[in-house]
Amino acid sequence: MTEEVRTEFHQLMDEVRADLVQMGGMVAEGISAVTAALLAGDIGGADQIIAADDELDLLSIETEEKCVRLLALQQPVAVDLRTILTDLRMISEIERSGDLVTNIAKAVARLHGVELEPRVRGLIDRMRQQAVKLTAMAMDAYAERDAGLASVLNDMDDVLDDLHNEYIVSVFASHELGRIDIQHAVQLAVVGRFYERIGDHAVNVAERVEFLVTGELPEHLGANRARARREQDEM
Amino acid sequence: MTPEKALMTQEPDATAPEVMATAETVASQHPRIDVSGAAATPMAANRADTQTVFRCDDVHVYYGDFLALRNVSLSIAVHEVTAFIGPSGCGKTTFLRCFNRMNELIEGARVEGSINYHGVELYQDEVDPVEVRRRVGMVFQKPNPFPKSIYDNIAYGPRLAGAKRSELDDIVERSLTRAALWDEVRDRLKTSAYGLSGGQQQRLCIARAIAVQPDVVLMDEPCSALDPIATGRIEELIAELKTDYTIIIVTHNMQQAARISDMTAFFSVQANEMGQRTGELVEYAPTSLIFTNPEDPRTEAYITGRVG
Repeated sequence: MTEEVRTEFHQLMDEVRADLVQMGGMVAEGISAVTAALLAGDIGGADQIIAADDELDLLSIETEEKCVRLLALQQPVAVDLRTILTDLRMISEIERSGDLVTNIAKAVARLHGVELEPRVRGLIDRMRQQAVKLTAMAMDAYAERDAGLASVLNDMDDVLDDLHNEYIVSVFASHELGRIDIQHAVQLAVVGRFYERIGDHAVNVAERVEFLVTGELPEHLGANRARARREQDEM
Repeated sequence: MTPEKALMTQEPDATAPEVMATAETVASQHPRIDVSGAAATPMAANRADTQTVFRCDDVHVYYGDFLALRNVSLSIAVHEVTAFIGPSGCGKTTFLRCFNRMNELIEGARVEGSINYHGVELYQDEVDPVEVRRRVGMVFQKPNPFPKSIYDNIAYGPRLAGAKRSELDDIVERSLTRAALWDEVRDRLKTSAYGLSGGQQQRLCIARAIAVQPDVVLMDEPCSALDPIATGRIEELIAELKTDYTIIIVTHNMQQAARISDMTAFFSVQANEMGQRTGELVEYAPTSLIFTNPEDPRTEAYITGRVG
């Protein structure tokens, strides 16, 4: 039996959690929508996605304000403190992923009229699939406080990194065969990079979830080595 | 009573070389009670000992048949602030009172297990409780100045201990200065201590506790009757005092424990099938760890307000 003596405090924390899950969902949906617009050359659809990013920005600012209020008024400690620190870091990660979706949307107009080869189209769709999967998994790990799920994300991101490499090769092969000009090839390469970065942000979220649950970051391993070296040098 | 007076009323006899050696070690490790006055540099081999003021093993406290506190083992480090936190009835104040044998003043109270003070078993018959209480002072929840002048409040203990008249002015000024009260009361030392504010009275009690040059100061919720400013002053004072004293503080204010202590012990309470509530130590760790990533789920539940 657990008696709750800080109901309001924990309710506000639950609200923040729900906000973040919603933000993650908006990003995941945005990735699919922007990919559809990109593959269809749908400039109108892309413009809608760009406008929708304002909603994500608003939500991220509101969520951050809630976190600040929690820190200022509730003196959170232990798992509560780690949660709010995680929430604050996650807001930036998710908000940044939203910006990357917007960047892809902006590329739709620049790529207007470009015929994409089936292989390139296929790789874009697979990058979408991986980026959505990583984002959704990171958010599930957060919502469920699942450090185990969070810990596999870094390895899973290799799939997206490999797809990205394969995609870049295909884009420039396509250019060399004279099917797309250099400006469009570069534009497409940059788009690929946006998907790849979305995966990185999902990995960052997952690392923060590990911190939330365990108090440790994967970076602690390397940091401990550096600390040992520093102490060695000081001796 | 001179500062170098041994903790024991009876001289340890020659058949107890162990005890004698320990007493010598204590003296050499604590400049304040060192006869020669030479501050000993601890050798690497006994470093662990010199860092420890109290070592408690399997401490149980009973009030009559009632087991109030079960099986506590922990060490209190020198010149650190150690905080005891936990819900009402968890035994934290009971445990605090063990360190200067104050529990003996309560009818039927009994302490089992070992509390070792600088290598001396605190609860052996040869140990003089009055001398223990001189070395291990106490500050209470409610400021309790004597119905005397400010000056006499401070001079009371040193006078009892045999301080010379000529030394008293000095002791009073030094103690009040150390307790950050001197500037506020220097012009009215001969007036009643009852004329001071609550926060000033509490600092007076701290000054009175340190006037007899203790080694340890125990504090039992010293700020619970004070406003935030007075509380802040006491907290500042505790941080300053720890350069000279080892401080153990019981507090209901977890943020206070977080702000001022180096180590935190979390006590909890469990009822047996007969409804008797017995306190126990749940977790003892550096304060920064307790408040960022406690090991025991019960600690986490308590400090985050999800009371189990």
